Amino acid sequence: MTTPVAGPPAVEAAPRPPLARPRSGRVLAGVATGTAAHLRQDPLVVRVAFVVLAALAGVGVILYGLLWLTMPVAEPGAEPVVDLSSSTPRSRRQLIGLGVLGLVGVSLFSQLLSGSSGNIVLPLVLVAAGLAVIWRQLDVDRTLAVPGVRWVLTGGFALAAGGVVLLLATTGQLANARNGFAATLVILVGIVLATAPLWRRLLDSRAAERAARIRSEERAAVAAHLHDSVLQTLALIQRHADDAQAVSRLARGQERELRTWLYEPEVATGGTWAGLVARIVAEVESDHELTVDPVVVGDAPVDDALVALGAATREALVNAAKHSGATSADLYTEVDGVRVSVFVRDRGAGFDPSSVPADRRGLRDSVTGRLTRLGGTAEIRSAPGEGTEVELELPREVAA
Amino acid sequence: MSVTEDATVRVFVVDDHAMVRAGVRAELGNEVAVVGEAADVAGAVEGIRATVPDVVLLDVHMPGGGGRAVLESLRAELPSVRWLALSVSDAAEDVIAVIRAGARGYVTKTISGSDLLAAVRRVADGDVVFSPRLAGFVLDAFAAAPPAPAEDPATDPGLDLLSAREREVMQLLARGYTYREIGSRLFISVKTVESHASNVLRKLQLSNRNELTRWAATNRLL
Repeated sequence: MTTPVAGPPAVEAAPRPPLARPRSGRVLAGVATGTAAHLRQDPLVVRVAFVVLAALAGVGVILYGLLWLTMPVAEPGAEPVVDLSSSTPRSRRQLIGLGVLGLVGVSLFSQLLSGSSGNIVLPLVLVAAGLAVIWRQLDVDRTLAVPGVRWVLTGGFALAAGGVVLLLATTGQLANARNGFAATLVILVGIVLATAPLWRRLLDSRAAERAARIRSEERAAVAAHLHDSVLQTLALIQRHADDAQAVSRLARGQERELRTWLYEPEVATGGTWAGLVARIVAEVESDHELTVDPVVVGDAPVDDALVALGAATREALVNAAKHSGATSADLYTEVDGVRVSVFVRDRGAGFDPSSVPADRRGLRDSVTGRLTRLGGTAEIRSAPGEGTEVELELPREVAA
Repeated sequence: MSVTEDATVRVFVVDDHAMVRAGVRAELGNEVAVVGEAADVAGAVEGIRATVPDVVLLDVHMPGGGGRAVLESLRAELPSVRWLALSVSDAAEDVIAVIRAGARGYVTKTISGSDLLAAVRRVADGDVVFSPRLAGFVLDAFAAAPPAPAEDPATDPGLDLLSAREREVMQLLARGYTYREIGSRLFISVKTVESHASNVLRKLQLSNRNELTRWAATNRLL
């Protein structure tokens, strides 16, 4: 083959692509395409070369076969670039190519045996076609679990077997072949039995390798997540070691994030009320000196009304953080068939709702006003020294 | 109500992390007597058998089967021991599994020292401990619609539903109210609140509701 051993010292900047057969864009087995990519030639040139060589007493065919056997299949993603300008669908082109190759091979073969009758052409065609189908299916590591592949394989085997039987029948060797077949079968069974442990070990090690690969991929995913979250936070905590407030806030935020990731993946990804509440709590906790224990019962997809309710909830939490003096608050929200309720409770200073100080206007305007516009209600219960509870209730349109 | 008044509560701590055990010991301080601790299932079973404490603080996740293994091997043998689950996990199935195995309550490891002490005392007195989160899980599990009638006619259908009052109590617990505050809000005595909570715990342990069955099945309780 024409591997450029004596080529001039690399003029081109990019290295030559490795000699490998692509996974897609093949006509036959991708030998020509892969070679062309390696040699930086048009695939057509390589193909013509193969055909010309094939005409020279079949050298091209033998070369093609050898290359097919020795060239590795390209790694996914690292494929030789293939220009697919042809309008013929790939699989059909591949099939036609295989057919032509088979016919050429068979006619060459029958010419070699030109002395005998032409009756053997048909059986040979059948064998060749069957083998071509089987090879084509097993060449790429297609999974055998795909039902179509199994049927195609079965068909290929049947075709090849039929061809062999027909060949033997036409040449009158069927009776001889039967004896030979029996002997071969015995030998094969013997070999299989003798090497059975080896096969088993091979299969076992393959399964173990697969399991190990899956495990290591999972580990890599977990490691990636932990690196982006926990390790970063631990680094931050070390830097803020002398600031107790910051440390506890970081630890808490990280704990919540990790917990959600571990136990409630749907909350972490989905646009639901529970996820929205979790985000609101995370924001409030990171902005203010307040820890919030949210308890969410039921869930619903977020709509505009729930976004507004979320904003009101956030306002109530911020109010508790700013004015109650408490360091923690309880948040309870329940979604049922007819309404969404939110309770924000702190055990802080409390106030007399009848004499609302000026700085509490925010609560009244942003929370009560918002809820009224949505057709819901907001109630604030508080007394000096007894903490505050804000209750928000929003009727829910039941999806018909 | 007698235990706390007669003598100090005797507590046994089971957790595989030495740091957690030391922290719990420090937080409980001199108010209770920590009579022993264990780091694994075998050690816990042995130690609890030897000391017969009033309350066992039980870690849910441990090598060798977790807290539930300890509970299951000792619960019938030592009926006087009360169990309080202590865990870092907030996953619903863990909470439900350990309650169904017989724990009288569930608190997370982030609980404050005084709250932990109160919970230990409450459990020692035979009451149950509902954190807001546990109350939320209960409300979720016993969500509004009643389940399909049970196949087994021997099952009490009442076990699968919360009464209106029990729901109210659970909701207030989830909102962060104490038993006392719930009593005064609903105009009932603290004792009545406690008995509602005990009933809910019993239902949680005995009910066949689909959600509970599913949780139990994932943990191979069935």
